[in-house]
Amino acid sequence: MSGEVLSLLMFAVACVVLLFGFPVAFSLGGTGLAFALLGHAMGVFDMPLLGSLPSRYFGVMTNELYVAIPLFVFMGVMLERARIAEKLLLTMGMLFGKHRAGLGISVVIVGMLLAASTGIVGATVVTMGLLSLPAMQKAGYSPRLSAGVICASGTLGQIIPPSIVLVLLGDILQGAYAEAQRSLGNWAPEPVSVIDLFVGAFIPGMLLVALYISWVVIQSFIDPKSAPALVEGKRPEGLFGEVLRALVPPALLIVAVLGSILTGIATPTESAAFGSVGATILAACYGRLDLAVLRHVTRQTVQISSMVFIILLGASIFSLVFRGLGGDHLVEQLLHNMPGGLFGAMLVVMTLMFVMGFFLDFIEIVFVVVPIVGPVLLKMDISPIWLGIMIAINLQTSFLTPPFGFALFYLRGVAPPSMKTWDIYRGIIPFVLIQIFALILLAAFPELATWLPSVLLK
Amino acid sequence: MLFLARFVRLIDSLNDAVGRGVAWLTIPLVLVTFLVATLRYGFSVGWVSMQESYMWLYGIIFMVGAGYTLLHGGHVRVDVFYRPASARYKAWVDLIGTLFLLLPVLTLVFIYSYPYVITSWKRLEGSQETGGLPGLFLLKSVILVFCILMGLQGLSLAARSILVLAGHREFEINEEEHEGV
Amino acid sequence: QDVREWRMVTTWPKNFPGLGTGANLLAEYINKASDGRMKVSVYGAGEIVPAFEAIDAVGNGTVEMGHGAPYYWKGKVAATQYLAAMPFGLTAQEQNSWFQYGGGQEIADKIYAKLNCKFFPSGNTGTQMGGWFNKEMNTIDDFKGLKMRIPGLGGEVIQAAGGNVVNLPGGEIPPALQSGAIDATEWVGPYNDLAFGLYKSAKYYYYPGWHEPATTLENFINLEAWNDLPDDLKAIVEQANRATNQMVLSEFVARNNQALKTLREKHNVDVRPFSDEILTNLGTLAGKVLRELVAADPLSQEVFDSLVAFRAQSITWAKYSESAFMQARVLPFKY
Ligand code: NA
Ligand code: NA
Repeated sequence: MSGEVLSLLMFAVACVVLLFGFPVAFSLGGTGLAFALLGHAMGVFDMPLLGSLPSRYFGVMTNELYVAIPLFVFMGVMLERARIAEKLLLTMGMLFGKHRAGLGISVVIVGMLLAASTGIVGATVVTMGLLSLPAMQKAGYSPRLSAGVICASGTLGQIIPPSIVLVLLGDILQGAYAEAQRSLGNWAPEPVSVIDLFVGAFIPGMLLVALYISWVVIQSFIDPKSAPALVEGKRPEGLFGEVLRALVPPALLIVAVLGSILTGIATPTESAAFGSVGATILAACYGRLDLAVLRHVTRQTVQISSMVFIILLGASIFSLVFRGLGGDHLVEQLLHNMPGGLFGAMLVVMTLMFVMGFFLDFIEIVFVVVPIVGPVLLKMDISPIWLGIMIAINLQTSFLTPPFGFALFYLRGVAPPSMKTWDIYRGIIPFVLIQIFALILLAAFPELATWLPSVLLK
Repeated sequence: MLFLARFVRLIDSLNDAVGRGVAWLTIPLVLVTFLVATLRYGFSVGWVSMQESYMWLYGIIFMVGAGYTLLHGGHVRVDVFYRPASARYKAWVDLIGTLFLLLPVLTLVFIYSYPYVITSWKRLEGSQETGGLPGLFLLKSVILVFCILMGLQGLSLAARSILVLAGHREFEINEEEHEGV
Repeated sequence: QDVREWRMVTTWPKNFPGLGTGANLLAEYINKASDGRMKVSVYGAGEIVPAFEAIDAVGNGTVEMGHGAPYYWKGKVAATQYLAAMPFGLTAQEQNSWFQYGGGQEIADKIYAKLNCKFFPSGNTGTQMGGWFNKEMNTIDDFKGLKMRIPGLGGEVIQAAGGNVVNLPGGEIPPALQSGAIDATEWVGPYNDLAFGLYKSAKYYYYPGWHEPATTLENFINLEAWNDLPDDLKAIVEQANRATNQMVLSEFVARNNQALKTLREKHNVDVRPFSDEILTNLGTLAGKVLRELVAADPLSQEVFDSLVAFRAQSITWAKYSESAFMQARVLPFKY
C-alpha cells in the first residue's frame, strides 16, 4: 500500500476513533502516531520527521497572534459574569415585545451585540436560553422558532468580529496565500492579516443578522401564532432610560474593541487586552466583580484556551503524519482534477466541511482540514478574505447542525423539559438553510466579503 | 482498589492546585498586554522583553493548565455517542483511550522533547530578539511539564475508569457544563 | 547505489523572493551535480518546523540541512549574529572575501559546531535599505521615541539612540505601519519591500541600510550527516553553496535595480538619504553597542575582532577602488 492510500485510510480511521468520544486532541494525535508507526513499518514514513514536534509545539507557544485567543475568552466570560446580556435582553424585550415578532427580533439583536463584543457561543446561548426562552414561551412563541432563533443568534459570535475562528483562520491563510501567489508567479502578493478577515466578516455577519430577522418576520406573517406580541406589553415608565443604560456600556466596549481593530490602531491581541480590561471595569461598575467571579473567569479562561491549543497540538501530529505519508499531494491532485475547476473544488470543500460539521467541532476542522485544502484552493487564485469568510460561515453552521451542534446542546442544557429535543432539532432547520443561502450569496457575490476591506484598509 | 482511589485523589488534587494557580496568571496576561499597548500608543515607550513576557504567560497558561482542564472534562470530545452512553461505556472509552491514545502520544512528545529541552538548557538559550527575555530554556521546559502533568492526569483518568468498572460508582465523572468558544 | 535523500528546512516562506529561491537553487545544484546520488528536497517555514526552529531540527537530526540567516540563532549561540551582518560592517564582496581568505569560514565552523552543524555562506542580500518611515528623519534626535520594527544588532543601535524597538509578526507589519502603531520598519531592499507592499503604508524610504550592509545567508548541515558524506559529495555541496552564494547576490542586484525604478517611478516613493549627521551618530553608537555586546562572550569577541581587522583594511582599499570608481561613474559626463 502506498503512503497516499495510507493517508486516506488514516483520515477515515480518525473519524471513527473520534466518534468513540475520547478527547479530540488525543484521538487525532493517537491516530496519527499509530499510522506513523504503520507507515514506518511499511517503509513509507520517515520516523525522524516526528522530531519536529517539540519545535512545532514551541512555535504554537510563541505565536503572537494566538495570544489574542485567551484574551478574547477572558473578555467573553467576564462579560457573561457581568450579566450584560441579561440587561440587554430584558430591556430589548420590553422595547420590541409588544410587536408581533418583536421578542424574536430582540433576541437576534442582542445576539449580534454580544457577538460584536466577543461572542462566546456557549455563554450567549445559555444566557439567552435562560432569559428569553421563558419570556417567549410565556408570550406563546412556538418552541421551534424560539429554539432556532436563540441557537442561531448565539452562534453569531463566530462570524462577527472579534472571533476566535477568524484569528485561527487568519494565521493559516496568511502563509498559505503568500505561498500560493508566489507559486503563481506573483512576486508581490497583497499580504492578508487577521484584520483583513475581521473587516471582511463584517458585512456577511450583518447579512446573517438581517436574514435571521427577516425569517422571524416572515414566520410571524405565515403563522402569526408562532411569534405573537406580548399580551401585557405595556411599556413601563422610563423605558428609554433603561434601554440606554443597558445599551451604552456594551456599545462603548464594542466601539473600543472593534474600533481599535478595524481602524488598525491596535493589533488583534492588543485590542483583546483592551476588551478584557474594559469588560472587567464594566463588571465592577455593575457590582459584579468579586473574588469568586475573578476565580471563575480565570479558570474558565485556562480551560477554554487549553482546550483550543491542545487540540492544535494533537492535530499537529495528525497533519504532520498526513503530510509525511504524501496525503497533501493526493488532496492537491484530487482538487485540481475536479470537474468544474474552481467551482467544483470549492463546492467539494464546502460540502465536505459542512458534512464534517455534523460530527466535528469547528476547531478540528480549522486545524485538520483548512491547512490541507486552503493552499490548494488559494493556488486557484481566489481572494483569501473571501475564502476565509466562506469557511467561517460554514464552521459557524457546524454549531447548529445535529447531532453534534454545540449551540443545540447548550440550549438543551438550559431549556425546560417541556421543550422537546425534537423541537430544537426541527427549529434549527430553517436557520441552517439560511446559512446555506448566505453561503450561496457569498459565493455569487464575493464582494460582500472583499469590498469593505478594499475601501477601509487600502 | 484502595491504592487506585488514593492515586486518583492525589493526582486530582495536584492538578487542581496547579490549575488554580496557573489561572491567576491570566490576570497578568491581560494587564501586561494592556500595558504594552497603552505605553506604546500613549507614551511611545516599550520593551521587547515586556512584549515577550505576555507571550510566555500565554504559553505557560495553556500548557501547564492542560492537565487541570482534563481533570475538569474541559477537553472537547465528539460526544454524539459518548454523552448519552452509560457510565461503563464512558469508563471503557476513557481507559482504552488513555492507554492507546493519550499515553502513547505524550510518551512520544516527551521522548522527542527531552533532548530538545536539554540542548536549550546547555546553551542557556535566550530570546532571538533584540532586548528580548533571557531564559528561553525555561519556557521550552514547559513542554516537559505539560507531558508530565497531562500524563499523570491521564493515569488518574484510567484509574478512575477501572474503579468505575469495578463498581465504585462514586468515581463516575460528572461532566461540568462548559462555556465553549 | 544508495541515494541520500535529504530534507532542507528553511527560515523562509516557500519560494520567498530571493531568499527562498536561493534554497531552491542550492537543492537543484546539489541534485544535478551529484547525478542522483543526493536528493535534497526543500521545505518552507512551517512545513516541517516553524522558521526559527530550523537550526534545532538540523542539529538534532530531524532533517539533514537548512537554509536561513545566521542572526536568527543568536539566542542559542550569540556569536552567530556577527556572521550575518554587522552595522557599518562589510559589503557583500568584502564579507565573502573574509569568509574565504580572512579566516571567516574557520571561525564560522567553530561557532556552528556548538549547534552541531556545518556552516556555508549561501547567498547574500547585498546592501539593504534603511527602512520605511512615516516620520522625517533629519537629526539623530528624531530617533528618540521612534517606534520601529528592526530586529538584530540594528535594533540594539536604535535602542541606544533612544528608539523604541517593536517586535511584530510579518503579516501585522503593514497594518501596524498604516495605523501608526509603529512609525517605521526595516525590511530588506527594494525587491522584497516592493513585494511586501510597504510603499502603501509609509511616506519615506530611507537609505542606506547601515544596519545590514550585506546580510549573509547560510546553509547549515547536520554535522553527522556532513561527516558521513564521501569527499566528492562534500566538494559538490561546497561548490553548490559557492554558486548559490553568488547567484543570490546577483539576483538581488538585478532585481533591486528594477524594483527601485518601479518604486520611484510607478509608486512615486519619496526615497531619501540619512544625513551625514545621523549616520555619524549611528556609527558611533554602533561601535559602542557592539563593543559592549561582544565583551560578554569570548566567541563573539573573537569573530568581532576578526571582522573589525578585516574591515579596517577593506575601508582603505575600497577608498582607492570601488568607492572611488563609483563616485567617478556618476560624475556629470555624457556616456
Ligand atoms: Na465575535
Ligand atoms: Na454540528
